Amino acid sequence: MTSSNKQKILIVDDSEMNRSILVDMLEGEYETMEAEDGLQAIGLLQSHGPEISLVLLDIVMPKMDGFGVLEVMGRRHWIETIPVVMISAENRSSRVDQAYDMGITDFISRPFDAQIVHRRVKNTLLLYAKQKDLEALVAEQIYEKQQNSALMVDILSHIVEFRNGESGMHVLHVRTLTELLLRRLVEKTDKYNITKEDIAVMSMASSLHDIGKISIDEKILNKPGKLTAEEFAIMKTHSAIGAQMLESLNVYHGEKIVKMSYDICRWHHERWDGRGYPDGLKGDEIPISAQTVALADVYDALTSKRVYKPAFTHEKAVEMIVNGECGAFNPLLLSCLEDISGDIAEEMAPKEFVGPSKAELSDMLQSFSQHRELSASNRTLQLLEHERMKYSFFAAMSKEVQFEYNITPPMATLNSWGAKWLGVEEIVMDPMHNKEITSLLAPEDWHSIFEMLEATTPERPYATYECRLAHKGKWRWFRFVMQTVWEGEEPAYMTGTIGKAVDIHDMRTNLESLQRAASYDGLTDLLNLTSARKQIEARMKAHPDSNYALAFFDLDHFKNANNTYGHAFGNQVLAHVADLLRQNVRGADIAARVGGDEFIIFLEYSQELEAVIRRIYRSISGGEFQGFTVSMSMGVATSEVVEPVFTDLLKAADQALYAVKQSGRGRFQFYDSSLRSLKHTGSYADQSLSPIESGDGGEEA
Amino acid sequence: MTLQELYVEIGGDYAEVRGRLPSDKFIQKFVLKFVDDKSYELLLSSLEQGNGEEAFRAAHTIKGMCQNLGFTMLMDSSSQLTEALRGGSLTPEAGPLAEKVKADYEKTVGAIRAFQEGLAT
Repeated sequence: MTSSNKQKILIVDDSEMNRSILVDMLEGEYETMEAEDGLQAIGLLQSHGPEISLVLLDIVMPKMDGFGVLEVMGRRHWIETIPVVMISAENRSSRVDQAYDMGITDFISRPFDAQIVHRRVKNTLLLYAKQKDLEALVAEQIYEKQQNSALMVDILSHIVEFRNGESGMHVLHVRTLTELLLRRLVEKTDKYNITKEDIAVMSMASSLHDIGKISIDEKILNKPGKLTAEEFAIMKTHSAIGAQMLESLNVYHGEKIVKMSYDICRWHHERWDGRGYPDGLKGDEIPISAQTVALADVYDALTSKRVYKPAFTHEKAVEMIVNGECGAFNPLLLSCLEDISGDIAEEMAPKEFVGPSKAELSDMLQSFSQHRELSASNRTLQLLEHERMKYSFFAAMSKEVQFEYNITPPMATLNSWGAKWLGVEEIVMDPMHNKEITSLLAPEDWHSIFEMLEATTPERPYATYECRLAHKGKWRWFRFVMQTVWEGEEPAYMTGTIGKAVDIHDMRTNLESLQRAASYDGLTDLLNLTSARKQIEARMKAHPDSNYALAFFDLDHFKNANNTYGHAFGNQVLAHVADLLRQNVRGADIAARVGGDEFIIFLEYSQELEAVIRRIYRSISGGEFQGFTVSMSMGVATSEVVEPVFTDLLKAADQALYAVKQSGRGRFQFYDSSLRSLKHTGSYADQSLSPIESGDGGEEA
Repeated sequence: MTLQELYVEIGGDYAEVRGRLPSDKFIQKFVLKFVDDKSYELLLSSLEQGNGEEAFRAAHTIKGMCQNLGFTMLMDSSSQLTEALRGGSLTPEAGPLAEKVKADYEKTVGAIRAFQEGLAT
């Protein structure tokens, strides 16, 4: 069996047996879906909403009970389009009343009776089907449909007139007069509950009052002179036949226009005193539409010239009708006729019939749209469904967690990708008391998010926040983009939040590693010159009174290592030296590779600097790395001798290093003023600090 | 044993059920299914663990099934137990009522099993 033709019924009951009883009772005629608690039901409504025609709902269930489901359905306006029939052994009337208040359509009490279950389901579906028809009229289809109905009315009524040999104006006259009478009637009384829309539809339907005459023999129809009793009996069948024709009209079945036309066709020859035909209805047993058309019909027949009679004047016709010469009419309608007497002649003036006027249509639209707060045609729902599908597809592609948070009742809904990815349920009741949810963010982040949301207004409902979110035990960076949802006016109140969380972890960690790459030397993982300088300057600025030393060293004969063993080996040597350096400086010292085989160490000291420098020097120099003897030359400048300015310190240390190299390498030396005159060019200090930013090897030694 | 005899045995109302449900076959299917329903075990375990809310739901479910199947005797006792547990607390009267439900349940399920064996032979 295909799912497309049968209406889908969602059965919500925690007892598997009760569900299967209902499934067994309903299968064949309907397609069924089952949910074993309220949460599952909400989930299915969420994902299959537009397909579900009816919900059979139990009250007592675990996780979320029937009232919980109704509350959510009400909040989300689902209850307006999806009828709910409550099933339960609950028979305490307060609970039943509460359920009706929350929007249920009907109640089936246990024990289940197959007949009753069937009837309730069928009635509810019919009731809502009508409502859905009305809604379908509302939106984009209304104009087209009305045009079609108008066309149908037009064609049928003209066929009748043509065969009737009437003036062609009869249908139009009856229509106009019906409308005038009804407008007056609703001014006088609200007894009949007639809406503007009803007037428009009844007037249109009035055109069809004689369609049954299609089936009457032309000889009888157009006989000049009085009909015989037998002929009259045949003529009288036209009202019932017309009604039957409408009943068998497949295309428009169930529409208001057809229902009204049916009433009018069948009963426009009934009379107020019960002496009309075909059913001999009396008084208000006759639908008001038919009563009105009957009066209009008689008036127009009197004032028109027919093959068997001349035309009477307006005054004469009204007089004859009021005197009961054409049968009895509703006194209320007669007084309406008298009231509008002055307008009739003017209104009856020939004008072209072009279907419902724009004013009528807008009246209809207005009253249709008042009918329901949120009416959407099936097509609109389909379009929305399409959009939703499209969006969730793209959301899955872009790793988005989408969520909706409802304040009362507190409930969070996640898109299925998001829920799956986070390992939580798609629908979570009371999420802020659910550990699975609260543990997703750090408490201070939850706090900040709620603070931001509370600060939004209906005019500025947006908030963005970046923080880490727990994913399977690991933290990942996310950007939350949220919009609060408001309802009502003056003052509007917040009902919840919709939003999405986008995974920006890779982006953010890339950024962080870029930042890191910019500050560190790739080969040795020591700081590079630029960032070392920044840190050193910051340190000296923070503690200007301390003593500082800057040691500048390079490796002796490093060029040989490169030339003999290759660059790769040279790099290994540099990394080895960096390791030693890291191991032997104190935590507060700053070590950096400033390029090639050149390094600096910056340290703060209070006493005995020479011992510290010697220790560092010895820990690095003098060892061996895979056959290469590590030896270095080092120059040291102190803030006791040089101004505590980075470039000055570096320049001075460089001078001292140069002096060491000049005197045979393999040792360290402190800078003093005697070295100032030493000629030395090509140092980093002189090049105003523009060399390697992030190292890529030691190839320049 | 016929279906009708089974109903006599377990204090059920066959005529009433037959009026509501479409056929004997239909009734029989669900009567046999009753034996497999887990609500009774849930009732026992939740009573044992002192979980009044869950016990209430389990008793309520049993009552609902019995209503649907016309098991009048078990329905009455489970209905009384349901009321005693309503609100989710284990009231003093719940104890003896639960004993009655146990006895009725065992009797009902025993008879259904015997009926089922009769079908097989």
